[in-house]
Amino acid sequence: METWFTAVIYGLSTSGILFLVSLALSIGYGLMRIVNMEAMLYYSFGAYVTYSIVSMTGSFILGAIGATVIGGILGFVVETTLLRKVYHRNMMFTMVVTFSVFMIGIGVIQFIYGLDPKPLASPTSAIIRFMNVQIPLYRLIIIGLAVVAYILIQLLMNKTITGKALRAGIENRENVEGLGVNINRIFTTTFVIASAFAGLGGALNAPLVMVGPYMGFDMLLTAFITVILGGLGSIKGTMVAALILGQVVSVGGTIWAPLAFVGPFIVMFITILIRPTGLYGVKGTAFGFND
Amino acid sequence: MKLKNLEFLGPVFIIAGLLVSRYLFPNKITFFTEISIYTIYVMGNNILMGYMGYTSFGQPFYLSCGAYSAAIYLAYIGGNVFVAIFVAFLVGLLLSFILGPSLMRLKGSYFTLINASLCAIGVFMFERLLIDITNGNDGLWYRSNMHKTPLLDIRMPQNYFFFILIVLLAALYLYRKIDRSALGTVLKAASTNPRKMRFLGYNVFRIRWMAFTISVVFSTIAGALYSVNFGFVNPSLGENSRAIEVLLATLIGGIGTVYGPFFGALGFLGMKDFVSSFLSRWEFVVGIMTLIVLFKFNRGLWGMIQDAGSFLADTGRKFKNNSVKTAEK
Amino acid sequence: MNQGNKLLNVEKLNVCYGKLAVVFDVSVNINAGEVVFLVGRNGAGKTTLLRTIAGFLQPASGEIEFNGKNLNKTGAYKTARMGLKYIHQDKQVFGDLTIRENLELSSYATKDYDWDPVFKMFPKLNTIIERKAGNLSGGEKQMLLIAMAMIGKPALVMLDEPTEGLAPHVIKDLAAIFKEISRTTTLFIVEQNLPLIASIADRVYCMKEGKVVNEITTREQISSMHFEQYL
Repeated sequence: METWFTAVIYGLSTSGILFLVSLALSIGYGLMRIVNMEAMLYYSFGAYVTYSIVSMTGSFILGAIGATVIGGILGFVVETTLLRKVYHRNMMFTMVVTFSVFMIGIGVIQFIYGLDPKPLASPTSAIIRFMNVQIPLYRLIIIGLAVVAYILIQLLMNKTITGKALRAGIENRENVEGLGVNINRIFTTTFVIASAFAGLGGALNAPLVMVGPYMGFDMLLTAFITVILGGLGSIKGTMVAALILGQVVSVGGTIWAPLAFVGPFIVMFITILIRPTGLYGVKGTAFGFND
Repeated sequence: MKLKNLEFLGPVFIIAGLLVSRYLFPNKITFFTEISIYTIYVMGNNILMGYMGYTSFGQPFYLSCGAYSAAIYLAYIGGNVFVAIFVAFLVGLLLSFILGPSLMRLKGSYFTLINASLCAIGVFMFERLLIDITNGNDGLWYRSNMHKTPLLDIRMPQNYFFFILIVLLAALYLYRKIDRSALGTVLKAASTNPRKMRFLGYNVFRIRWMAFTISVVFSTIAGALYSVNFGFVNPSLGENSRAIEVLLATLIGGIGTVYGPFFGALGFLGMKDFVSSFLSRWEFVVGIMTLIVLFKFNRGLWGMIQDAGSFLADTGRKFKNNSVKTAEK
Repeated sequence: MNQGNKLLNVEKLNVCYGKLAVVFDVSVNINAGEVVFLVGRNGAGKTTLLRTIAGFLQPASGEIEFNGKNLNKTGAYKTARMGLKYIHQDKQVFGDLTIRENLELSSYATKDYDWDPVFKMFPKLNTIIERKAGNLSGGEKQMLLIAMAMIGKPALVMLDEPTEGLAPHVIKDLAAIFKEISRTTTLFIVEQNLPLIASIADRVYCMKEGKVVNEITTREQISSMHFEQYL
């Protein structure tokens, strides 16, 4: 019983990180119809920046803030200099472009930090005891932060005019522009926020995995599976999908170890076969249905 | 006029070029072998990318499946190299038989992502699930198990090179035939307007599946040729990050053309050889190169050669016309 | 409203999709206060012309001038802010948003938060303001779209087939609304509905195969539906 409970909590923390990281993909496709594989760079750089700041100052909080900022800055630079030029191109083209950017980023990481993985100690080793179950406090912090991020994004989407314009833009980009809304600026803003969250996700995941140049690859596919399962452009869908996948990885991995790796792929195959638009996707906005 | 007849000899020119280079640079023989194998691999990708409009981030998966099937045969079952390559061919057919029906129904980016997932699953399979058979990351060694082959002992690098050239020649002619046949035309047409092709009575799905099969088989055979060449495989052959290499090679050569793959392999491996002599961070260069090719150079090397050719022909014609005119005067 | 001023002036406009030209040397001018219709068969290039003027497409050559300013390279959202609104053919409102949010969006873009004139024109919208726009009928959607376009008090509104797929009594309502709007705003409408054109048009441009082939300026010719041959 205790094992299962621990597995569920661990799964929730995985979900938290997945949610933070997948947002950029979901919004990138939902609004601009691009598959922005380079989003995983913000995640990797977030983790590395956290590593650097922690080894310099010893403060993980500073590290996480730095990672968030770096994620946002990178997102801004990539979006304004490159992605804007490829929005109108076909999806295959943008996929290869963003994948190349991803590779360049991996190269840059290797230049700066080398190939060896960097270990990062967990910022707190405190253990919470709850009904005979021991849960690391850090896992709970991740869950808490992800919940806060979700609430913030929901407020942004539903209460602010920017969010409303964004939702409208996900439905029909041209009509929003036709009203006189500068949709590019709104997209940049959102993209920067999503990239910042990806950076934060990298920071939070850094103590749990080895910080290595290829960490983005490990996350890339899982993040895509989250987005496909949740439905593109739906924040709620991304959240629900992250919750499901977290449990698939954690509880599934407890049942049979290889499931931790293969489970998400099985989920993806099933999703694509049964419901290509995902759980909360709008019809016609699944990957590859508009290109 | 005569140019058309010369075109038929294209593959022969390529083979002859490789042969001549092999004797000009005798210490670079492994490099030429690699180019020839890589050409076959790029051809497989070009069918998907150039003819069908599908970008696959999963080509390394098919390559490593071929490599491992040949390797496992050589390490555990037999020593005949030709049988090992044939096993890879069968595995390619089997893969396409299993995966084709579902993959070919997918559109655009789902295809790309599923293939990328296959790559990850492949690495996981060869590295961990089948560790008892594949030795995981330590790789599988079997060079000493390979038997001597009749006529030409292809265990020797210089002989293997000749063998590869024969395979490449066959592959090039097959590929040229596909390009000329209805299949090539229909594929290209179906990639721009699948619905119209369906109305015209073509079974687009079956045609695509067939092309996918060819693509997979080309990749698995290239994988088998690789594993025979090295006498060793490890899971890094199928890594996700290498998916872009074959895409880049295809783009460098020029997509959707018969001779593009060869020039792509030549350009890509040549660049790799050159760059890696002073730079070890390979991903960075690949990424930059891909962007440059995509934005500035999108017809590729073969496209450039064609342009240069038609430019020369044009000027030649003009020159001829002018001289005729002056002669008339 | 001072009638007779040139509000929109399109000079020898050419538009291409890639290498395929769809609009050839089109010249159109619209004076302030007019109701101008554009008729032509499907594929004649009407929508392309409107989309180019609205800034969604870049002209290959030619001039677009609005209120004395050149619009050739002006993006769609800037054009809208300058007072030239375009209502799409597909009647797409933002279905996920309520009517209020739809209107808010338009206000946000144009910084005009005065909704009274709009509610005066469409009292019904005010009564169902919290409803999701996706659940509206076709006629209501069209009204919401016109309302959204009218926010910001544009000088010129371009509509692409506003009556397409609507019930006859709704079309009658729309005719009255257009008449009402035309007192303050210039209208440029792509339309196939002959009676509607005959009842409110000041001028009609006829397009065929990417060219403007005829311009009908007299009321007699308009009310006799002289342009029917171009449909």
